Amino acid sequence: MPTTIDSTRFGRIEVAPESEIVFPHGLVGFDSRRFTLVAREQDAAFVWLHSLEDPALALPVADPRRFFSAFALEPAPPADAAIYVTVRASERLEDFTANLRAPLVIADGIGQQVLNEAEGAALRAPLFAELAAAAAGSEDRAA
Amino acid sequence: MLIITRRPGEKIVLGDDIVVTVMEISGQTARIGIAAPQDLPVYREEIWESVKAENQAAAAADPDKLPPLPPQQS
Repeated sequence: MPTTIDSTRFGRIEVAPESEIVFPHGLVGFDSRRFTLVAREQDAAFVWLHSLEDPALALPVADPRRFFSAFALEPAPPADAAIYVTVRASERLEDFTANLRAPLVIADGIGQQVLNEAEGAALRAPLFAELAAAAAGSEDRAA
Repeated sequence: MLIITRRPGEKIVLGDDIVVTVMEISGQTARIGIAAPQDLPVYREEIWESVKAENQAAAAADPDKLPPLPPQQS
């Protein structure tokens, strides 16, 4: 049976059982254990990890490999796991950061927030730094 | 809080599957070994606090107030 949530951000959402992600140990700082991923066209760079237990709890998360070409996770996760990092949003794109130190590893409907022991895994890594650098590079070439 | 005195090499057992060992004490520093199930999160407290702060900051995001996002990278 699908779970229905009345999200404070996105309105009513129906979540199929197979889309449910259980974090047996939760996320640090929150009581919720059951989540799902909500994708929206407007901000497709992220998906929202939305609680099924708290309609007001949702965190933007992103695939770190999309933003950080050198991203590494140690200890290595299972091969079939999806990896996300939480995103600290801001009014300005250059102030967005991602938490590479504590990624979310999701496999077979089970999620875990793990500690990343890889070198350089920052707690607040500028999310759009590589994008900005690439844009600046192409402007330089154009000039 | 339960307070227990231990010497280097001595252990504390929590439940059935967590063992905390005092490995070494040197001046102000204690080296602690923790054997726990792999899926049990073990954090240094200051890291736990900082992860909590990042999680809570992430959860404060308002989708209606996000700036226009750059096109997705391939």
